[in-house]
Amino acid sequence: MDQTDDLSLFRSEIAEWLEAHCPLSQRQPIKRAEQIWGGRKRVFYSDDAQRWFEACRDRGLTAPDWPVEYGGGGLTPAQTKILQQEMARLSCRLPLYDLGIWMLGPALLVYGNEAQKQQHLRAICRGEIRWAQGYSEPGAGSDLASLRTRAEDCGDHFLVNGTKIWTTAADKSDWIFCLVRTDDSGPTKHHGISFLLIDMETEGVSTTPIKLISGESEFCQTFFDNVKVPKENLVGELHGGWAVAKELLKHERKMMSNPESMSEVFNISLTKLAQDAIGLDETNALSSPEIRSRISQHMMRDAAISQLGMRIFQQAKAGVSDPRLPLLMKHIGTQETQVKDEIVLEILGAEGLSFDDDAASQQARTMLERWAFNKSLTIAGGTSEIQLNIIAKRVLGLPSGESA
Amino acid sequence: MILNDEQRMLQESMIDFLNDQAPVEAFRTLRDDPSLGAYDQQLWRGMVELGLPGLTSPEAYGGSDFGWLGMGAVLEEMGRRLTAAPVLSSVVLAQELIRHCASPAQLEDWLPPLVMGEHVLTAAINEGPHYAPDRLETRWIDGHLSGEKTLVMDFDGADGLLVVARDAQGDGVVVRVAVDAPEMTVHSRRLMDGRNYASVVFNQTPVHAHDVLAGDAVAAGLARALDITAVAMASEMLGGARELIDRTVAHLSEREQFGVKIGSFQALQHRCAQLYCDLEVAASAVYAALDALDRQQEEITQLASAAKALANDCFQKTSSEAVQLHGGMGVTDEMDIGLFLKRSRVCNQLFGSSDFHRQRYASCLGI
Repeated sequence: MDQTDDLSLFRSEIAEWLEAHCPLSQRQPIKRAEQIWGGRKRVFYSDDAQRWFEACRDRGLTAPDWPVEYGGGGLTPAQTKILQQEMARLSCRLPLYDLGIWMLGPALLVYGNEAQKQQHLRAICRGEIRWAQGYSEPGAGSDLASLRTRAEDCGDHFLVNGTKIWTTAADKSDWIFCLVRTDDSGPTKHHGISFLLIDMETEGVSTTPIKLISGESEFCQTFFDNVKVPKENLVGELHGGWAVAKELLKHERKMMSNPESMSEVFNISLTKLAQDAIGLDETNALSSPEIRSRISQHMMRDAAISQLGMRIFQQAKAGVSDPRLPLLMKHIGTQETQVKDEIVLEILGAEGLSFDDDAASQQARTMLERWAFNKSLTIAGGTSEIQLNIIAKRVLGLPSGESA
Repeated sequence: MILNDEQRMLQESMIDFLNDQAPVEAFRTLRDDPSLGAYDQQLWRGMVELGLPGLTSPEAYGGSDFGWLGMGAVLEEMGRRLTAAPVLSSVVLAQELIRHCASPAQLEDWLPPLVMGEHVLTAAINEGPHYAPDRLETRWIDGHLSGEKTLVMDFDGADGLLVVARDAQGDGVVVRVAVDAPEMTVHSRRLMDGRNYASVVFNQTPVHAHDVLAGDAVAAGLARALDITAVAMASEMLGGARELIDRTVAHLSEREQFGVKIGSFQALQHRCAQLYCDLEVAASAVYAALDALDRQQEEITQLASAAKALANDCFQKTSSEAVQLHGGMGVTDEMDIGLFLKRSRVCNQLFGSSDFHRQRYASCLGI
């Protein structure tokens, strides 16, 4: 049996399995309140959600492309793509949302030692531990490497002091992966940064939510006050955490470039929304020619961005990857998402101007929340300006100047 | 959506051939001497020897059936060098009109001479200043053709002309006319892209029935041929935009002001980076359309509209930005940048502007 036969067999097997195990209620567009997040404080929105999560967990489908020995599904990239296609075809919800799955796990698979992989990967796949990210600081945003949270070497442990900001859902998380400064005598500020895993139940860790323009508080500030962290929680080389950070950022940007893979899958049909809100004229064209053109332009670009993703995938599969293309995705994807959000807001008109007006429809409020939340997409994970710097220097090879 | 080994080899041999035979200077020579006609005959003979006219045609008619991704790669390389040759007019548009509108007997008769490069045909589609293939006024009635056509590509180098028209019932027909047919007035000239285009007025031009492609297949065949040509045009435009970004980056990496390379200025870096992002987005739309053609996908209207609209926008913006980023040199004729700028604006009008394709895409979306 050749490879193509293997894959089509896999496709029919996985389709059958999804059909049998994914409850109908888990085949609806996801709402934020119904997402399945892991962790010690995990709560299932419904019995169906729990059944769906457990079925996937037991088959390794919460992290389908991780090795089986760490709780993953052991799927090849081609099989993973097929799984995603089949899940999309049936509109299956993601069985588990977690920064451990999207970001920490892939970095641990590259940089973690065997004990760390054993300790953390399976717990992530099983949804037992929820992870937060401790990167940015009040004084270190785009210039991340200037971070000042300090980890002092105290023999058998590190003593951590400092603060991290934009720590997503830190108040609901169990562990946090952090970039900390262990040395500042190095030749560059990138040297002397280390990558630490910290149990948030350790004494001295505290979090405060930050209220956002949407009225929600998805991000926190997290404080470390003489927190003792065991030496074995260091990932990668001491002072060499920047390499781990970069590996992880790659996965973060990949995730953010595709809003559908992000925490809020939110499948509103722009065309349906416009038809309902604006109406069609006698030629079956939208009554507003301007909105019609803008939707058309956005939908073309949106489709082309997916096709760009497909090109990157096909190149990787054929072993002819153009390393420049993935570096474009974060900026392009987040930019286009915001274009869509602005069109949506304009279509909603006065319906979409309040986060808590009971007279507005739930759909309109959800879309407004999305508009506000998505403003963070071009800031978090490396701002668009940083992305353009990277494209200018690493993709186009323009000369270095004063900018980072 | 990516090239296989064979297609990459084709692309590489095309790069060698064009670097040798058709660098941008060759196009300048053609532009500066109107007596040379629509294209360089020797260059075209070289392309025929390489088998380029048969690249996308079935083997049964003498083609190599190499596919559209391969053809797209060739057109991109031509776009990088502003190569003037009857590829879009004769190899793509005329051949596709015949392939999709002709009866089997007509195919046998009409197609092989084009595929072998023995004949060069161009096609008359546009009427008036804007592309609107659904609103044809030209009529073929009682064996006579009447109407006015504009923007007929490569007229001076063609052996004949395919005219898209309607018959007495209002059904689409494709009519073959000799370049020296009676009762036909031709105004042939160069547009700002340095290439040859004609406006043609038919005033009861006699046409025999055996020179007409008619029947049920014509309406859909015409639409498909035009969509394919729009995608091919978009491929050429991508090549132009790629070349402009390369040249602009090279200029910014060399030119010094205030004691530094101006390419180190973030304001300029970000403009280049955004251009490159838009280029790869447009390229993905074009490759998706070419790929759909190679997979014999039936419905390609939406893909073709996305490809052409995004390529229009990309080439237009990139060429304007390239002029600006080249500073004073960008507006001189000595630099090639202006040649690409002018080509981009002509390409925008060929086979549909961005507005035309955005509106059509919207119709495909049901809005």
